[in-house]
Amino acid sequence: MINRTLTPELKEIDQIDFIKPSIFDISSSVKLYSMCEVPNQTSRLDLYFNAGTILGDIGTASFVNSLLLSGTNTKTSIEINNEMDSLGAFFESSVSNENALVSIYALKENMLAVLSILKDAIENVAFLEHEVIELVNDRKQKFRIGMEKVSYLAQRTFQQKLFNHPIYGRIAEESDFENVSISTLKRFHKDHYLHGLTKVVLIGAFSTDEIDEVIDMTGNWAMDALPTFNEKCQNEPSKTHVNKEQAVQTAIRVGRMLFNKKDPDFIDFQILNTILGDYFGSRLMTNIREDKGYTYGIGTMVAELTEMGYFLVATEVGSDKKDATLHEIQYEFKRLQTELVSEEELQLVKNYMLGQLLKSADGPYAMMDLFLHVEPFNIGLEYYNQCIESINTITPERIKELAINYLNWNKMTIVTAG
Amino acid sequence: MIHFERYILKNGLTLLFHKDTTTPLAVVNTLFDVGARDESEEKTGFAHLFEHLMFGGSVNIPDFDAPLQMAGGESNAFTSNDITNYYDVLPKTNIETALWLESDRMLSLAFTDKSLEVQRNVVIEEFKQRYLNQPYGDVWLELRPLAYTKHPYKWATIGKEIKHIEEAKMDDVKAFFKKHYCPANAILCIAGNFEFEEIKALVEKWYGDIPAGIKPARILDAEPVQEEYREKTIERAVPTDAFYYAFKMPERRNELYYIADLLSDALGRDKSARLYVSLKKEQQLTAEIGAYITGSMDDGLLIISGKLNEGVSFEQLDSALWKELESFKQAEISEAELKRMMNKLRTSREFEEQGLLNRAMNLCHFELLGDANGINEEHEIYEAIHPSHIQETAMHILKKTNCSLLKVKAISNDK
Repeated sequence: MINRTLTPELKEIDQIDFIKPSIFDISSSVKLYSMCEVPNQTSRLDLYFNAGTILGDIGTASFVNSLLLSGTNTKTSIEINNEMDSLGAFFESSVSNENALVSIYALKENMLAVLSILKDAIENVAFLEHEVIELVNDRKQKFRIGMEKVSYLAQRTFQQKLFNHPIYGRIAEESDFENVSISTLKRFHKDHYLHGLTKVVLIGAFSTDEIDEVIDMTGNWAMDALPTFNEKCQNEPSKTHVNKEQAVQTAIRVGRMLFNKKDPDFIDFQILNTILGDYFGSRLMTNIREDKGYTYGIGTMVAELTEMGYFLVATEVGSDKKDATLHEIQYEFKRLQTELVSEEELQLVKNYMLGQLLKSADGPYAMMDLFLHVEPFNIGLEYYNQCIESINTITPERIKELAINYLNWNKMTIVTAG
Repeated sequence: MIHFERYILKNGLTLLFHKDTTTPLAVVNTLFDVGARDESEEKTGFAHLFEHLMFGGSVNIPDFDAPLQMAGGESNAFTSNDITNYYDVLPKTNIETALWLESDRMLSLAFTDKSLEVQRNVVIEEFKQRYLNQPYGDVWLELRPLAYTKHPYKWATIGKEIKHIEEAKMDDVKAFFKKHYCPANAILCIAGNFEFEEIKALVEKWYGDIPAGIKPARILDAEPVQEEYREKTIERAVPTDAFYYAFKMPERRNELYYIADLLSDALGRDKSARLYVSLKKEQQLTAEIGAYITGSMDDGLLIISGKLNEGVSFEQLDSALWKELESFKQAEISEAELKRMMNKLRTSREFEEQGLLNRAMNLCHFELLGDANGINEEHEIYEAIHPSHIQETAMHILKKTNCSLLKVKAISNDK
């Protein structure tokens, strides 16, 4: 009989290989990043545009992004979708504060054909009135559905109070959808897509000739100089409740403006963040889910923009558990500020984080995403070796110091909805 | 082609091994052949509640997650109406930790009162978060009992009502484990850069002495053939009217299953699909519309669902939809349309097979269907489908007497 009470011996992760993508110039400032070591037929193309929501009137960036395949003067949206689908391609587009992103997932053999359809569609999008009206109606409906969700309600108000800024902190109202003008959309498209390409990412076993074709097809959209972002936001420490009748759960958001990878404390703070709320065994999960059963899940994160970042705790709890949960979150902050993390817990988090890093470097897609997580900050892949170094050497005293510096309850923006 | 080896232990546990030399990770995936369909109607939600309890410590190991995290790994699970699936992903050098943990919880759980009490609360919060506190969240709680009258698919995985979870007793938990969590009722797949012999030895070491148990017989109430059109309207405080047309379709092992899958793609997978083009783009009746299948082991559902545009009535939608379905049945789809769907299928499959975890899960799933090698044969089944097959299947499935319609009528929240 084996002794099942004994833990099998563990081996430490001694090394992770980080592979850098190949870099090609599209223009003097815009690059194409390529990862060719793909052992199968899949491929992905990402086009990044300087067309985020901080530009233009509220709603404009998001409308233009959603209308990219809405038809040209010679092709309807139905025809465009049909052509892309016939090549087995999947199209995704999204918009964040500082970027817009268009992605294609396709088999390698079809990617260039898909790109030429996409190029024509984006270059010549006509913003046809019936397509714009249809989108306005769809958006209004989605907005109304969103307003029925406590998580959405909390997130909106949180964004406002967190950024506390006339542009970064603005949130859409239903009436904003009425004011969309086609000429505004056209101008935004011309300024921020046709002259707004900031980065191209290509994953797949492409030859240099094929990469050149991608460069040729996208080159005329490249920006002359990459945009800079100079705004700094400071959150408003406050406590706000958004009322929602008959909700059986309350959404909670607690957070503050913080920093991004450019800050020397960032990596160590990520370790603190993991201990507090970023894995299944975290302090908050253990206390609020696994000990008290107030929630299905609770988590923390650090989100990054080009020149800033923020820290966030998010959960949804039974409506009668709102105050008790806030109390426990505050208690866990305090505990990290006053007590040293045990060597055992710290060792577990170190091993867990190294395992996750190994996983996030597994395969060409994951590897490219790792690269894309540092590239906007002009940091290279050596960042991840620094992570390994920090994870291996961080002390309980350092964790406590960071908690004292950054997890001050009075600095938090707190929003509840329910 | 996804290669695999198979080995069956004396206690009935099936081991599948998939070798991938390119990854530093290992996956340990365990499928138990038990889902919500195996519950009694008075105690629903049990398979899923039980999945939560599987993380509450086992007979020799007080905590499941911490040792796995200490080994650099992580774990999760899901329950469906058909199966319960657990997986661990960790650095390959620490694979033995996952086998130690998984085999101990297959041997026996700790069954602590604290774990039961807390997980009951967690699952009740999950019930609220996903089903009660979301607009349209309770649709499946309503649609299942409309479409199924006898078969246990008439309740959702989360359970019929919160009360069933509140009333779960420790004796129920123990009986459920004893009946369903034995080696003969499990399929284990290990994937990573290992040798088969080395995996066999490790699995024999950790799982070999678990008592065999008996694979429980599954005798479920068969769903009678539907012969009448069913319709139900519920009023909810949601912003927009929504519709769910549910058509009965063949079970997973039937070859018609694959044809029905393509039929749902043709109707509503993407923005080139028939219903999207006709009802949304051309007639402007819906804000959203799509079609998909539930993928169930027993008789499943082909669902057409969406949301109405403002000012459009359910009746307008209904007549336009049936008109579209009738015209679909009148003529075969073109070769180009079929090719488009096949190309989409191929892209999705290539992307899906990229992931080590997906490969391990799918191997277990196909083994449950009868043979893990099904994963390599499925494409040929799709390739053999002809437009005429889709038309025949459409005529068979897209009938009013085979349909259950759930309408969600929007009412104001202010009352």
